[in-house]
Amino acid sequence: MELIDKLSILADAAKYDASCASSGAPTRSSRGKAGLGASSGMGICHSFTPDGRCVSLLKVLLTNFCLFDCQYCINRRSSSIPRARFTPEEVVRLTLSFYRRNTISGLFLSSGIIRSSDYTMEQLIQVARQLRETHQFRGYIHLKAIPEADPALIEEAGRYADRLSANIELPTLTSLKTLAPEKELGTIHSAMGQMRQRIDAANDDAQRDAKHLPRSANPKRLAPRYAPGGQSTQMIVGADATDDRTILQSAQHLYQRFRLKRVYYSAFSPIPESPSGLPPAAPPLLREHRLYQADFLIRGYGFQAEELLNRPGNLDLEVDPKLAWALDHREHFPVDLNRAEPAMIARVPGIGLRSVQRLIDLRRQRRIRYQDLIALRCRMASLRPFVTTQDYRPAEIQWESSRLRRQLTAPQPAQMALL
Amino acid sequence: MTATRSDARHVARATDFTEWRQRARQLLQAGIQPADITWQDGDALHDDLFATPAADSAALPPADRGARLTLSRDQLALLEQSARYRDDACHDRWSLLYRIVWRLARGDTAASHPADSDGSELHRRAHAVRREAHHMHAFLRFHREAPKGNVASGDEASGDETSRDIVLRDSEFLAWFEPAHDVLDLGAEHFADRLGSSRFLIATPRGGVAWNGHEFDYRMPCPVAWAEAARTAMTGDDDHALWRAYFVSTFNPARLNSRVMTQHMPQRFWRQLSEGDLIPTLEAGARHGGQRLAQVASVGQRDGKPISLRNNYVSHTLSAKGNK
Ligand code: SF4
Repeated sequence: MELIDKLSILADAAKYDASCASSGAPTRSSRGKAGLGASSGMGICHSFTPDGRCVSLLKVLLTNFCLFDCQYCINRRSSSIPRARFTPEEVVRLTLSFYRRNTISGLFLSSGIIRSSDYTMEQLIQVARQLRETHQFRGYIHLKAIPEADPALIEEAGRYADRLSANIELPTLTSLKTLAPEKELGTIHSAMGQMRQRIDAANDDAQRDAKHLPRSANPKRLAPRYAPGGQSTQMIVGADATDDRTILQSAQHLYQRFRLKRVYYSAFSPIPESPSGLPPAAPPLLREHRLYQADFLIRGYGFQAEELLNRPGNLDLEVDPKLAWALDHREHFPVDLNRAEPAMIARVPGIGLRSVQRLIDLRRQRRIRYQDLIALRCRMASLRPFVTTQDYRPAEIQWESSRLRRQLTAPQPAQMALL
Repeated sequence: MTATRSDARHVARATDFTEWRQRARQLLQAGIQPADITWQDGDALHDDLFATPAADSAALPPADRGARLTLSRDQLALLEQSARYRDDACHDRWSLLYRIVWRLARGDTAASHPADSDGSELHRRAHAVRREAHHMHAFLRFHREAPKGNVASGDEASGDETSRDIVLRDSEFLAWFEPAHDVLDLGAEHFADRLGSSRFLIATPRGGVAWNGHEFDYRMPCPVAWAEAARTAMTGDDDHALWRAYFVSTFNPARLNSRVMTQHMPQRFWRQLSEGDLIPTLEAGARHGGQRLAQVASVGQRDGKPISLRNNYVSHTLSAKGNK
């Protein structure tokens, strides 16, 4: 099979994994050195496919042969799709070629399970090792950690990769049992636990090195880094009946227990020969989007999953989770922007974290006026009913939330402003 | 450009930010009001029309009339970034900056805050510049130079410029890019970090830069031969066919969302991308029925087979060699 055919098959097979981030790596440069590649901590999207998704890494499977039979997955062994397999050298060649042409910032390599979990993990490591050691590649590498593999292999993977991820796919024991019979939540959790320990330990070492730089400035004597971009995971949304509250609580738990950098949500896309029991419908994109918004509020804005959804069920599709929370908690509003704590300002719909900082800076100099919010390009339509400034009080203070909600949603129907 | 305010007693000229900083410092120390200065852009095309001599220290009043100003590193970076902003309607990059430092020097600390009228324009420009630098890091594409013989015509075109020929012949990777603001050097620094000792050349409608693995060679304007070579290379690099195949396969037709795509990747860049012409085709295909499944049609049309768990089958089928 030609390389280009393998590429077509194995990129198609890999695209169901939503992660394509190249962020969080330490600063590296190849200037004046042999080899190739840099990383700056900030991710780069080199292209966008017409589905609006960022293309940052070469995202492929080493092979889409798989011994497992996860029902939601196009590569399950019972699926009659064309199969292909790259040699490690082929993946290396593609990575370097695309990198030099500036179409990617690195590689995200995953694989179906062939022969055994250990064998598969070894194959992934071999690609990363060739890139790092033979070609001195300093770009981004994200490897899939296969939870069932020997811990020593996951240990080795972390020495080459910027990021490791083990996918949880389905957040509950029951749904894993029905849809992914060969996978075990316990195994996935223990792999995540191992990775967290190693990442934490490496970060401690790195801090120690930073404190005593003069003696250990020789890079060979610096502590080896371990997956400096942290670990991430993915959950599939809409393949079974799990509700958003369960998904968000599970994500919150993963952030706390394993210090994940990111949880990705992937709306289940219909696949050929979908096994019965899986929805043949279009992927629930708006639901996925709301989950990302809620996740963002949990990571960055101090919200708890239980605050965003205080009863079983799904997030409101009509309004975003921050606005939904504000409509449910009118007793905290309006917020006086000249007095309120920064954390409370961050809870106002239409005010982002950067604007919070700018408002705090500004009110050290003078009183905040309504006009300032326009100048800071805050989302005026959303915030108007929820703030007071020196020269402004909302007219809607006495309104019922339901009336306010109608007004806020009436002019434009809920729009799909994707991230 | 030549219209001089009747009350303007000072004409100050700057080609770049460093030069502006020097001028501004002198003017500030001399206490010259923003309204009394006509700023001229050094690299405007009408240089010869400037009859009035540029401001120099000798022509300024004694320094003690004005103020000294110390800027934080962040403020300086903000000013520097916004000076890179280009806009047909924007001839006043220097006067905005001077008005802001003038106000800051007088203790008006809000002058550089994004909620201020000058400050918001400053931030808007700096933001547009940072975004454009990021666009360049993201959407510039390198092409490996076609085999030596093919570039010969480019060499002939500039036969009198031997040094340029050498740079051209040495460059392994060439790129043509059309940035909206002055970000060429920001891009070049970034790619020198990425490509290490590989030699590259970037040509733009304004300037050009070549990197020989050790140092930069900036040219303003960009030599014609560089631009030609960069544009020719766009058609001769076979590995972009692999990239195009990847782009098609990594797209999920069931998730079509063109609005978000164009928001992140403005159409003006598509021409420079080897995958650019695929976008409308993929969109149309997804709209007309292809949206049902996530799998790409060309992959779905191939023969497939489920995997049996019998051991001998697995080990045979799954070895890389057996897969050819
Ligand atoms: S292990 Fe499951 S999810 Fe992974 S490739 Fe195989 S079938 Fe798909």
